[in-house]
Amino acid sequence: MTAVAATLRTAVANGLANRNSFWFQVSLMVANDITWIIFWVLFFHQVGNLRGWDAHDVIVLFSILLTTAGVALGLCANSRKIGQLSADGALDETLTLPVPPLAHLLSTRVDAANTGDLLLGPVVFLLAGNPSPERAAMFLFGVVAGSVVLIGFLVACGSLTLFVGGRGEQADLGFNAILIFASYPLDLFGGATKMLLFTAVPAAFVTGVPARLVRNFDTPEALLMVAVAALFALIGWGTFHLGLRHYSSGSIWIR
Amino acid sequence: MNPYLAGWRLGFLRTIRSPGDMSVRIGFFAIILVVMTALWTAAVDANGGSLHGYTRTSLLWYVFAAQTAVLGVRPRSVEEIGDEIGSGTVAVQMLRPVSVVGLRMSIDMGEACARLIASFTVGALITWLFVGAPPSLAALGLAAPAVVLGCAANIASCHAFGGIAFWLLDAKASWFFFQKLVFLPGGMLIPLELLPRPLELISFALPFATMAYVPGRIASGHPDPLLLLWQLGWLAVLLGMAGAVFAAGERRLQVMGG
Repeated sequence: MTAVAATLRTAVANGLANRNSFWFQVSLMVANDITWIIFWVLFFHQVGNLRGWDAHDVIVLFSILLTTAGVALGLCANSRKIGQLSADGALDETLTLPVPPLAHLLSTRVDAANTGDLLLGPVVFLLAGNPSPERAAMFLFGVVAGSVVLIGFLVACGSLTLFVGGRGEQADLGFNAILIFASYPLDLFGGATKMLLFTAVPAAFVTGVPARLVRNFDTPEALLMVAVAALFALIGWGTFHLGLRHYSSGSIWIR
Repeated sequence: MNPYLAGWRLGFLRTIRSPGDMSVRIGFFAIILVVMTALWTAAVDANGGSLHGYTRTSLLWYVFAAQTAVLGVRPRSVEEIGDEIGSGTVAVQMLRPVSVVGLRMSIDMGEACARLIASFTVGALITWLFVGAPPSLAALGLAAPAVVLGCAANIASCHAFGGIAFWLLDAKASWFFFQKLVFLPGGMLIPLELLPRPLELISFALPFATMAYVPGRIASGHPDPLLLLWQLGWLAVLLGMAGAVFAAGERRLQVMGG
């Protein structure tokens, strides 16, 4: 077993150590997500069809978001904490280990609450996403590619702290921006905002494009999705490793 | 200086001296306004330019004021109160010769006022740029005190909900529950008139509407002073509830060690 896989397994075991607390947090997150689903159902009940999107389409989009967020923020919980860890000087303990630092950081902590998203997302898709083998395959493909985009983006935002300082505010803003934009149908946005969602804040590739692929598979769009996932993985990896050159130790060995 | 006034001042100064946190909040607020503008514009366009009497302009001024009022309060306030109670930190606060809940609420209100000044100004500018002038300037003027009262009601409720930790030693569950009550029956995500009729009636009977719906409704072009009275009434009730929960909780609190 590789060091990263072993770290992730330990992180999962650590998260599950207090089972009551784990399931309590999972159930809270599930309740939170269900509120959003109720909102969308009420919203579409009132407004009907919205630029080609109905309640079903948005629930599929939401199930992709839940699963993607579950992977990025639940299984790789440190993806949104890179900025804070850098500011606290807490990368020391990782940098001393003979493992790839970014992979180790991403696999070292599991967030119980966001694991609730990971569990609920596929259930929502199965219940309300008209699953067929093709649609389920596209759902899985979209979740994997979207998770890579989301993690790459969050790591890049967090790594900005290594260049410009602060307490990880850049990551917080990036995190809020991409999750909010990813929660809404892509076709609501136009002009400069839509351009932003395909470039600087790639929310379109976290939910919008995967949801479109589930609805109507399109080979060029699927290939674009793969290319964008690879690009954001590279951006995240590159920004973090370049940023490490600016990292100052906080002399924190045990946390 | 009066300790509660000093608490308010402390909260206010502490917030304006944290520009990083403040800029993230304002950035977050700006993103929400961009998203909501897109959402409600599409919704109104799909329904012939009006939804239950709300036009695009009035809806977006509603969103501005409702979001301003809610974002003024520290997001995890209920959970933090619960943590302080659960960990026993509250016992140290009880040594002071002032009301624990009173001082906490005045500090929170100081913080909220600093955030409200920034987000009301920036949010009003952004909304004006996106959708044009508010339906009425009188409404925008009256929305300012409504936002402050909505925030105050929210803070009082946070303490009433957070005080549950005196019994459960944790308030995470009540935080989630409370947050959702502000989102839907509170009118933060959607004006109450757009809810199904039974849910609308229930929402009007609950206090959460005073925290988001009332500021939003006023800013959307309904400068009705009775709405402020509605807020004041619920604020008095909620302050009383927060005080009663803390008083009962403090009587039963037992802390080991120090």
